Amino acid sequence: MKSTYTNIGGRLAALAAGFAPVSVFAEAGQPTPWQLGLQDPVTPVMENIVWFHSWLMIVITVITLFVAALLVYVMVRFRAKANPIPSTTTHHTGIEVAWTVIPILILVAIVIPSFRLLYLQRDIPAADMTIKIQGNPSWNWTYDYPDLGLNDDKTSKVVFTAYLKPEKDAVADKVPYLLATDLPMVVPVNKTVKILVTSDPDGIIHSWTVPSFGLKIDAIPGRINEDWFKVTKAGIYYGQCSELCGKDHAFMPIEVWAVDDATMAKWGDFMKTGPKPDALQQFLKTIKPAAQTVASN
Amino acid sequence: MAMAYAANEEHSHDDHSHDPTGWRRYVYSTNHKDIGTMYLWFAIFAGCLGGILSVMMRLELAQPGIQYFSGLAQIVYGASADAAVDQGRHMYNVFVTAHGLIMVFFMIMPAMIGGFGNWFVPLMIGAPDMAFPRMNNISFWLLIPAISLLVISMFVGGPAGMHGAGTGWTIYAPLSSFTGHPGPAVDFAILSLHIAGASSILGAINFITTIFNMRAPGMTLHKMPLFVWSVLVTVFLLLLSMPVLAGAITMLLTDRNFGTSFFVAAKGGDPVLFQHLFWFFGHPEVYILILPGFGIVSQIVSTFSKKPVFGYLGMAYAMVAIGVVGFVVWAHHMYTVGLDVDTQAYFVAATMIIAVPTGVKIFSWIATMWGGSIEFRAPMIWAVGFIFLFTVGGVTGVVLSNAGVDRSLQDTYYVVAHFHYTMSLGATFAIFAGWYYWFPKIFGYMYNETIAKLHFWVTFIGVNLVFFPQHFLGLAGMPRRYIDYPAAFAGWNQVSTIGSLISAGGVVIFLIGVVMAFVKKEKAPNNPWGVGATTLEWTLTSPPPFHQFSTLPVIK
Amino acid sequence: MSQLSPTSRKNRRVAFLATGVVIGMIGLSYAAVPFYKAFCKATGFGGTTQRAEKAPDKATDKFISVRFDANTSNDLGWEFHARKTEMQVKIGEQTMAYYDARNTSTRTVTGSAIFNVSPPSAGAYFNKIQCFCFTKHTLQPGQAAEFPVMFFVDPALLDNPDAAGIKEITLSYTFYPAVPDTTAAAQTN
Repeated sequence: MKSTYTNIGGRLAALAAGFAPVSVFAEAGQPTPWQLGLQDPVTPVMENIVWFHSWLMIVITVITLFVAALLVYVMVRFRAKANPIPSTTTHHTGIEVAWTVIPILILVAIVIPSFRLLYLQRDIPAADMTIKIQGNPSWNWTYDYPDLGLNDDKTSKVVFTAYLKPEKDAVADKVPYLLATDLPMVVPVNKTVKILVTSDPDGIIHSWTVPSFGLKIDAIPGRINEDWFKVTKAGIYYGQCSELCGKDHAFMPIEVWAVDDATMAKWGDFMKTGPKPDALQQFLKTIKPAAQTVASN
Repeated sequence: MAMAYAANEEHSHDDHSHDPTGWRRYVYSTNHKDIGTMYLWFAIFAGCLGGILSVMMRLELAQPGIQYFSGLAQIVYGASADAAVDQGRHMYNVFVTAHGLIMVFFMIMPAMIGGFGNWFVPLMIGAPDMAFPRMNNISFWLLIPAISLLVISMFVGGPAGMHGAGTGWTIYAPLSSFTGHPGPAVDFAILSLHIAGASSILGAINFITTIFNMRAPGMTLHKMPLFVWSVLVTVFLLLLSMPVLAGAITMLLTDRNFGTSFFVAAKGGDPVLFQHLFWFFGHPEVYILILPGFGIVSQIVSTFSKKPVFGYLGMAYAMVAIGVVGFVVWAHHMYTVGLDVDTQAYFVAATMIIAVPTGVKIFSWIATMWGGSIEFRAPMIWAVGFIFLFTVGGVTGVVLSNAGVDRSLQDTYYVVAHFHYTMSLGATFAIFAGWYYWFPKIFGYMYNETIAKLHFWVTFIGVNLVFFPQHFLGLAGMPRRYIDYPAAFAGWNQVSTIGSLISAGGVVIFLIGVVMAFVKKEKAPNNPWGVGATTLEWTLTSPPPFHQFSTLPVIK
Repeated sequence: MSQLSPTSRKNRRVAFLATGVVIGMIGLSYAAVPFYKAFCKATGFGGTTQRAEKAPDKATDKFISVRFDANTSNDLGWEFHARKTEMQVKIGEQTMAYYDARNTSTRTVTGSAIFNVSPPSAGAYFNKIQCFCFTKHTLQPGQAAEFPVMFFVDPALLDNPDAAGIKEITLSYTFYPAVPDTTAAAQTN
């Protein structure tokens, strides 16, 4: 489904299409106009989240409709005109037990898959690559790849800070403004990547998230947090800071490129040469994952 | 003030040689009904203030890009065009913060506990007044400096070169510490919360004493109307949670100004500890906001169904259970801070348990209506609206309780939608239900039924348009507290903004209704609701005499 | 109010009790600070490491990966890095790791390090016998120092079904300027 809507008609069409199953409509990596559900999953964790959320949606929709139906029924059946003489019933042990026990059973049906998902998220498998991410007080993210080699002074050879891509550049490059960054965080596809997340020691709390990875972890000064993802599809995936961090909270996006091993190696080698910004941008164009449909209006 | 009480010539108390009149009657008031009335007007004022802030935010979010806030910063702060970009972005956060704090501390709490609580707890239990009438006066008047300090905080220095506290109502350190907000704005906000907290705590002590000691003969705890039960549970939550907020923000204040290091990582403190303390207060606080609503709705549903409440004891103890469990679930607001997995699992399970007593309440309301002879007067319509909308807000709460899914939804608009369905649609609907239910009793005039129903429908459509699409935005990943957003989020944001304007229209209709009632002065009967209204306040005149129950009623 | 009616007396009692509860809760909120610290120390909550006198007599033959992370406050003016990014260590075996620090500023600076391990559930099993983070360190301008940490991973980790799945423990330090011993209050004013 193409997601470029430039007119009202297109929007209405999208709205109608929105009621189709999410997987038809939403695209991996970024939100689409009039999207109704979660972003398409590209990691096993997010696949599980989507599945579990669908299950929850069924449960809560049934509950809500059930309550609504009951309300409508009593409002019609027991309105003063239809039922002038009110009953005096104030107790019914059977039904009171039922509406205590049945919700408990429903909750059990929720909590079991919930725990399975939780332990899948938080049992971090052995990592193929570890990347350190730091949220900065100047509202941007620094990515540090210790696995790609260290300098003599023990700093990583590949360290860079990704800034918001300004609106005119984003428009020129046909990438989504407020999601795109000047430099992407590049990760290998089909590999377990562990991230260590912290904030600048002198900064404030941020939160690093990529919705299509089903991942969100706070960056807290003076504290290391960790999470993991295994992207199963090459592509470009976006996220945004998710903990209020001051005036530019809305302006510190996250852009991740998942690429094959060869490209990953090529990128790593190129980054180690300490390229000039222009050369780096030229190089990035050569390894950019297959173009995706981009929302623009 | 545009209202007058029926003259009351009988003086039962020796210390009142004559009833006070004019401004003295209110400023020096020790009368629970007058103080309750002042609380209600105060809540309406604060609600309008908080509402204006929210409409401004929604207007800003109507489309991508920054529409208004740069200009607003130029006008309000006199910023230069260049500086206004940054100042405007920060100003948005200041609005977020002020909107949250005002609605929580100066709208919902004063309306429910201060307003309806003050008015009807003594009446419903057959007491002549609150236990400590002068303390009651202090509780109310503390709110004026409190909200003043909060408003002042919006105009004094925040982060370098900017004004106001843009921390969110959660005031997380270190954003709220010297690091994030070196200016005095956060100090003003903290002092505002201190005073509002003191007001609430004094109120809580007053209610506890009143409910325990001043019940009329025969009014046992298990005969108290559910509204009184709801206030009793609420004030216990206040008593236990508000001091923790006071402690936490005092630590923050001394961290900021006096070199302590409770939350300063550089000096061995822990910013995550602030979150634990905040939410140890914050989660009970959200039940403080909704529990009196449960009580109000119980009274109304029973009155208009002309039936006693179904499962009274279950209803009362469901509230007690919600209150108790509410104290052991706080870290479900903190799933992403890096809690270990077992801790998260515990908070998932504990949080879900709350769904059970909440379900008991929903089903008991429906069962109260079942078999009833339901009259759809305005209060009942608001109450039924409450039941449905609170159910919607409740079930999304069950979704969010799952740490695994919360990973996707934490700090997105899904959360915003969830808590507005419980607060803005839940608690506020309960307040309006109570307003129309007790308006004739409080003021002695009937409200206009047509306007009240129009108010309901406009509000119902408006708020659903505001908040239902926010579920979609949240699922798609739009983070909350954002002044600007990617183009893909534009559609639902636009819908949401339209809803916000419709809701604002609802508020205007509400205000028109209030004015009209006072202009028309249609005398209200002592009991306008008929046989279903069985609580003690309906045995009194409308409005009740300045001093009621000089001989205590006896409850059989 | 010279003579109180029985009701007033009863009211006062309840009010005093309630005030007591309030004061108690304020007290508890302050008590939560040391309690939280003690709780973290005792249980490893939040990835707080443990202190031990010595490693167990016998190491297991199971290996676990330990990763070393370093952060420095800009206010310190130091370079501070782990000598090795990562080590494979035997669970239960006493191991020594090193960090290197250098004062790149032009003044004498005293620093101290705070720390945590990740995942947080590893905190209870990560024991430090000796650590530079136990004390403050002063470096002259240009002076370099070697900071050792001696630790072992408690074999009890293998007995805990939740923790046994941990593949790697990350030990993270953040160096800040040390709080002066004497005038702690003169900081932010």
